[in-house]
Amino acid sequence: MFTYVIRRILMLVPVLFGVSVLIFLVMRIIPGDVAQTILGTDATPEALQQLREDFGLNLPLHIQYFNWMSGVLTLDFGESMRTGKEILPDILSRFTVTFELTLISALIAWIIAIPMGIIAAMKRNSNTDFGVRIVSLLGVSFPNFALATIIILVLALVFSYSPPVGYVGFFEDPFKNLEIMIIPAIVMGTSMAGAVMRMTRSSVLEILMQDFIRTIRAKGAKERVVIFQHALKNAMIPILTIIGLQVGTLLGGAVIVEQIFSLPGLGQLVLTAINQRDFMVVQGSVLFIAFIFVLVNLLIDILYAYIDPRISYK
Amino acid sequence: MFKKQYMYVLFIALILLLAACSNESSETEEGNDTTTETENESEESVSEETASDVEQVIKIANDQEPAGLDPHKTPAASSIRVYSKIYEGLVTFDENMEVEGQLAESWEQPDDTTYLFNLIEGVQFHNGREMTAEDVKYSFERILDEETASHIASYFAGIESIEVLGDYQVQFKLAEPDATFLSNLTHSGAVIVPQEVVEENGDLQQVAVGTGPFVFEEWVPDNSVTLTKNENYYLDGIPKLNRIEYYTMLEEASRLSAIRTGEIDMTTVNAQSAELLSGQEGVEIKDYQSLEYSYVGFNVEHEILSDVKVRQALSLATNRQEIVDIAWKGEGLVTGPIAPSMADWSIDVEAHELYSNDVDKAKELLAEAGYADGFDITITTASSYPDMVDTAQLLQQQWKEIGVNAEIQQVEWGEYIDIWSNTSADILVGRNGSGSDPDRAMNYFFHTEGSANVWNFSSDEYDTLVEEARRTIDLDARKEIYVEAQNLLLELSPNLFMVSPKNYVAVRDSVVDYVPYAHSTEDLDEVFKK
Amino acid sequence: MRQFIKRLYKDKVGLLGAIGILLVIFIAIFAPVIAPYSPDEMFTAHALEGPSGEFLLGTDEFGRDIFSRIIYGAQVSLQVGLIAVGIGASLGLIFGLIAGYFQGKTDQIIMRIMDVFFAFPDILLALTIVAVLGPSVVNTMVAIGIVFTPVFTRIVRGAVIGVKENEYITNAVAIGVSPFKIVFKHITPNIMAPFIVQITLALSGAILTEASLSFLGLGVQPPNPSWGGMLDASRTYMEFAPWTIIFPTVAIVLTIFCFNLLGDSLRDILDPKLNKE
Repeated sequence: MFTYVIRRILMLVPVLFGVSVLIFLVMRIIPGDVAQTILGTDATPEALQQLREDFGLNLPLHIQYFNWMSGVLTLDFGESMRTGKEILPDILSRFTVTFELTLISALIAWIIAIPMGIIAAMKRNSNTDFGVRIVSLLGVSFPNFALATIIILVLALVFSYSPPVGYVGFFEDPFKNLEIMIIPAIVMGTSMAGAVMRMTRSSVLEILMQDFIRTIRAKGAKERVVIFQHALKNAMIPILTIIGLQVGTLLGGAVIVEQIFSLPGLGQLVLTAINQRDFMVVQGSVLFIAFIFVLVNLLIDILYAYIDPRISYK
Repeated sequence: MFKKQYMYVLFIALILLLAACSNESSETEEGNDTTTETENESEESVSEETASDVEQVIKIANDQEPAGLDPHKTPAASSIRVYSKIYEGLVTFDENMEVEGQLAESWEQPDDTTYLFNLIEGVQFHNGREMTAEDVKYSFERILDEETASHIASYFAGIESIEVLGDYQVQFKLAEPDATFLSNLTHSGAVIVPQEVVEENGDLQQVAVGTGPFVFEEWVPDNSVTLTKNENYYLDGIPKLNRIEYYTMLEEASRLSAIRTGEIDMTTVNAQSAELLSGQEGVEIKDYQSLEYSYVGFNVEHEILSDVKVRQALSLATNRQEIVDIAWKGEGLVTGPIAPSMADWSIDVEAHELYSNDVDKAKELLAEAGYADGFDITITTASSYPDMVDTAQLLQQQWKEIGVNAEIQQVEWGEYIDIWSNTSADILVGRNGSGSDPDRAMNYFFHTEGSANVWNFSSDEYDTLVEEARRTIDLDARKEIYVEAQNLLLELSPNLFMVSPKNYVAVRDSVVDYVPYAHSTEDLDEVFKK
Repeated sequence: MRQFIKRLYKDKVGLLGAIGILLVIFIAIFAPVIAPYSPDEMFTAHALEGPSGEFLLGTDEFGRDIFSRIIYGAQVSLQVGLIAVGIGASLGLIFGLIAGYFQGKTDQIIMRIMDVFFAFPDILLALTIVAVLGPSVVNTMVAIGIVFTPVFTRIVRGAVIGVKENEYITNAVAIGVSPFKIVFKHITPNIMAPFIVQITLALSGAILTEASLSFLGLGVQPPNPSWGGMLDASRTYMEFAPWTIIFPTVAIVLTIFCFNLLGDSLRDILDPKLNKE
């Protein structure tokens, strides 16, 4: 087990290295000039040149990459080219926002989706099954931004309500924080619920088909007991996997919801930085998101191995 | 009318359906309940305060995150609205666009190239130190220093020397007479900063210490910027507000909703939202004719577009009023190279032949140029500005009538700026600001050497005119030259000048004494809340 | 095949999805016949008019007929969906087969590269690809295709490894059948079930991603009538003219919904583990 974990951690290194090279190159291939974007139409050529030199953009590529990486390895992600702000603390503070949003959305999704998935599986091919699947799949079919704008408009027009402005952290003011978070989380939760429901349903179905459950059933155990004691426990593994995948994806994928609801999250940071060609911020945050993503999936894999001893640690 | 209501019903039905989907579990409903409760509570507490004593705090939604706070380095509008409350320059514009003193009490002009400013005594920076002539000298030297990479260096390139004549007296010597010097000094970036703060922090992007009515308190990235009252401000009774809170809200829909419910007190909105808000209780819409205008820029070295007849034909084929009506909801003015809000600097373009939308004449010109059957071309525009995308789509349709087949390429902002500066598009739809002096709109964008002349445009006759205008101090003579230059520019059409839009600010009715002008869109010095 | 149709017929959810998709395909093919106007034609005098006999679903801010735009939009959406998923699925199939069949070093290298792309946040990856290539319909499809590749690769690889253990494959290898033949004759047909399911689901994902890219200004270029683009453009007008947003929303949601229904149902039908009666 221990060597398995170590092996898995070592495997992260080439992946993260790949991500760092890729994002570094992409930011240099992408058309656009950070100096011009910062200084706007008023800038003189001398000022532009000066700024590029300040950012070290005149150095050869491999030196630029080396400088960046040696910083990253000592946890110095550099400074934002545009605002001069240190990048890593900024990433971390935004990460808490995105993380909370992800967590609440996921909770909402699970609370809706897991029971629905179980019910659908138990009553396979009944009208309840069809109904549950249709409702939860409808949620996934909405483009986030359309749902979000419509909700904002309806809340304002019908209920004269708009979410409070100005983000505050959970520990500063938990109530205001939750009030800010709840609507975006519902928007994201609806789109997550479908996938979780689907996975729950098919895992439970699969288990229900298995011989040992049939035996238990044949012995005359109550249906509820069968589901909760046996089926659900075994169905947890694939459900866990999809949850891990979703949490990972959402961390970087909340861009649109963050933008619409003015949440100072990671996605927002990267999007603004891409528009402004703030290379350092884009590189730093993408690398960070990738790191969290592989980390979450590693944890899931380890958990997976822990729950299901049949998996070999090879 | 009936149909519209019918649509609303459908719309609401759609929402209810959605709500039903997400309310499947009881948990969500509970969540909703708590939300409404907290909301009620906060409303009550606000109304109690209103009854006793109004909190002098104004909440403003900023549609972009500030890009940094250094006035010498940051041209972004989202930054300007913040740092212009913190810093001040030597002079400023009054509401009639006449130059008046700010930190300079008075000024003299001993000769055509010398300006002598007398500073107000006893003005303090927010760190408590007195502002003196040395600071003025330092600030302009910082702007001109190449290492600063200031965006406004070009405005002051004509300064030969700056001399401190006393604690409260400073003298600028120019290389040659420059009619634009004083109005350039009103630029939002031409402000006085304290040397020690720059040296301590490297630059002023994250800190802000000025002499203005508001003091910088805090900037929480992608969230808010807070300014507080400068208790030691040198003018009595100013400012009246205790705090300004800026919240970054990128989405128009979110800003609209927040101003409706009173979560914020002030925000800029687009023409569509302004119309929606016009009947809204508790909200007032203030508008002003902006200094900006939209344009269609030609790469005049392009094989086809290098022919002036082709450009004139495109100008004739353009129905500018239709663009005003659709892209700006009818609220904008057809403009020439100087926006109409620059008062009598601008010319009346309505009567100009090339603005007549005479399609037959356009076809004739095109045939003379050898393109009787039209041609194919690409129009590039920025996706972040819906009005630019709308304009491009309208042009595409309008030009079809003379056989010009345009394809639209919309790119994101970073790339757009790149395309602009390298002239790598055939035709670019964009937006310019007319700045504080007509010299900018004329010289800077279209002089052969103008640093924003990205169009490869060059005309000796035009160059001579704008150079002369720059040197001509006499106001009337200068205006006359600009009339001639503008007509010449319309004739040569390196750009098609389109529409100068109205800008809108939505304000809660509790905000008193706020009036926006084109050149001072957010002056909060005397604003208070009732 | 008959078995398949019978099962699909039994699962009403999947049937509903299949019928819906056929309808969208029909609309896309016969768009020029169905649509009363060209999707780009502007009747500026009729801008933002509500539904009427002349304009069935009303007009947008340029006075373009929304009904016609939605009909032609079906073409754009299907095109984006099919080609993007085509790219992602083909690349995924190739890499997945190679990685799964040869395993060892090749597998390691391919999968680590896929992990790199996988670890990149989806929308940001699509965004950067479109930004690098320049926005156009084709590049949007390429970007979405690349984003989808790692998922397909993983699924195919997993399935291949599962199938490879089977006796008939080991036998084929033992008697010296060429790897090429083994892969295409013996392995590929046996991994089709998860592959097809993923294709259906990816189709809905592609249409949704195009919409998100439109929101970020990097979708299909105007005046092309993409549903996502229509949705984004009409957000400003939704209060004056709710029809500008309702109908494209309905079109996009229903289409994605049908793909999801079918995908969900196919998974049910094609998964042998769920069907041992």
